[in-house]
Amino acid sequence: MQAIGEKMSMYEKLNILTDAAKYDVACTSSGVDRRGDGTGIGNCEKAGICHSFSADGRCISLLKILFTNECIYDCKYCVNRSSNDVVRTSFTPDEICRLTMEFYRRNYIEGLFLSSGILKSPDYTMELIYAALLKLRKEHRFQGYIHVKAIPGTSMELLQRIGYLADRMSVNLELPTRESLRLLAPHKSRKNILAPMRFVQNGRKENKQELMIYRHAPQFVPAGQSTQMIIGATPETDFQIMQVAETLYQKFDLKRVFYSAFVPVNEDKALPARTGEGPPLLREHRLYQADWLLRYYHFHVSELLNEENPNFNVLLDPKCNWAIQNLDVFPVEINKADYKLLLRVPGIGYTSASRIVKARRMGSVDFSDLKKMGVVLKRALYFITCKGRMMYPVRMEQDFILRNILGTERIPDSVRGMGYRQMSLFDDVRFTVRGEKNEKNICLS
Amino acid sequence: MRRIYVCHDDVTGLFSAIYDAWRERRESGDAGIALRGNIEQQLFCEYVETEEQEKKAVAVERLIKKHLGMEAYGKLYAAALSTDPVKGDAVLGTMLAARRLSDSHKIMDNLTNPSVEKVFELSRRVYNEAHFFKEFLRFKELTSGILFARIDPKSQVVTLIAPHFADRLPLENWVIYDRTHKVFAVHEARKQWALVSGVDVDESRMEDVSEGEQEMRRLWKGFCKTIAIEERKSSQRQRQNLPLWYRVNMTEFQETYS
Repeated sequence: MQAIGEKMSMYEKLNILTDAAKYDVACTSSGVDRRGDGTGIGNCEKAGICHSFSADGRCISLLKILFTNECIYDCKYCVNRSSNDVVRTSFTPDEICRLTMEFYRRNYIEGLFLSSGILKSPDYTMELIYAALLKLRKEHRFQGYIHVKAIPGTSMELLQRIGYLADRMSVNLELPTRESLRLLAPHKSRKNILAPMRFVQNGRKENKQELMIYRHAPQFVPAGQSTQMIIGATPETDFQIMQVAETLYQKFDLKRVFYSAFVPVNEDKALPARTGEGPPLLREHRLYQADWLLRYYHFHVSELLNEENPNFNVLLDPKCNWAIQNLDVFPVEINKADYKLLLRVPGIGYTSASRIVKARRMGSVDFSDLKKMGVVLKRALYFITCKGRMMYPVRMEQDFILRNILGTERIPDSVRGMGYRQMSLFDDVRFTVRGEKNEKNICLS
Repeated sequence: MRRIYVCHDDVTGLFSAIYDAWRERRESGDAGIALRGNIEQQLFCEYVETEEQEKKAVAVERLIKKHLGMEAYGKLYAAALSTDPVKGDAVLGTMLAARRLSDSHKIMDNLTNPSVEKVFELSRRVYNEAHFFKEFLRFKELTSGILFARIDPKSQVVTLIAPHFADRLPLENWVIYDRTHKVFAVHEARKQWALVSGVDVDESRMEDVSEGEQEMRRLWKGFCKTIAIEERKSSQRQRQNLPLWYRVNMTEFQETYS
């Protein structure tokens, strides 16, 4: 037992403040390309670098810690809520600098991810974070990646100062709708969350103007901002969630929206009961797939979901699902179709699509070439022709294609038993699947 | 008769062989390149030893950069670092194919050509591996304060990853040791990095780590353990993202402190 006031070892502190930070999703170190200036330590790569993968298969890119796990708020889903009885501790700016520098030079990490509980007030906490970052950047000449969480309610002047030290800033949306937020995070308001987001967005716009005139002007949040929301703690449909995400991308210029499958850490009557099924990982996976379609594949949410079908298909990924429902567009001729149409073909990604466009300028492309370019033919073959021919005779019928695709796809065991029955009113939309196999690495950006 | 140029498996050797082949056989294109120690004897071929010289390699480098562009050079160079025994033929074949194009700079888009496709595939594999080592390489601090990292790569990736660390850690003295190919990238603080080969090193001397090192290892291993969410545990996903063979030299996967 630790006596109050007794000094805690670094190992214990790190343990507590890592454990408290682990539910934050964003671990990416992408979005900024920066060479070292030779006077300190560090650089950044545009694509981001993952340094390790933890036992849950998520990437470890940044030293993800809380500044403190003390908190005045009482959000129902959070381990650190004020009504929980857990050991509380805080780092000092010096300790954060030492950990970051020592880990970084051993190539353990790509930078620092600093979040925090709220000590006294948002401004008080952010001022401490600012002190730590300033020390790291100016005293230690650290030029690696810094991702900082902005606490809703912080003054704009302080956000401005922090924005010039950090690469990425994020404000957590926490929950998809205003009502859920009121229910589960009574101390946070939608208005307070969106205000700093808007501020960072405008700050980046102005900064871009400045940089055009003065090339060496300091950069304000150069890697942009992201946010995250918890999935499955409240009854929103996938359609609602994706609409929120689309709005954030369009209206707030967000770089990423992260989805976090709800993991129950507290018992509370406002939260869903523990089911023993584990977090809704398949649902989270489908949301990420759709998110990709919005950002890289020129899809709109209204094409993927609607009021009648508000949730994603359990058996098919959103792109394939769209293709099967829109068979009139297909088959697509590989040697003629424009880039945007190629992107819509299941099995063709944006890299292979651009390879196809380049290669067909030099000569016509055939199925064997497609394979080498990285196209997944077993999915694409139902939707494409090369030089006017399909790979195999295919009936352009929904049922036929669906049967064949599902025959080749690895479906999670628990889903396979369900067959093709229609989802009924009484089915739980928070479907969960243990040991999800198709899940890709969600940390790419 | 088809002439096969035999060379060592390094960039200087390979580029020297290409130099000779290019000079003697570029019109007919009837040439091949084989790596010493990895030759599959073929009928109706003559085998010639390549005289390997730095200046030949430099000439080939200049030739490629000038006529095919920097981007293509990057891919050809990476392909030359791979483990595939036919890499020489693929590089030479790509260069020959480029001669027939009106704009040679577009050669790497010509993915329907088998040689280009091979170079493309090899370079992608090598770049991926190099990227993985940028991620998974671990330095340890020796008692002398030098940062030392050991890697066991398949391809000869050291020259691809050293510039990254030179930019990242300009004020540190560091050494990256490629145990597979017995080469070192050595960087002295505030200076350029250099490639060193042909040196024998007593590896046991690299086990004398500094005091702070033990502490940092313990903290890092603790961090990696704590950050995982128990409810989402999946060793399959972990293996998919971080294959076991990369873990050999990674601090967080080593059982004991050395």
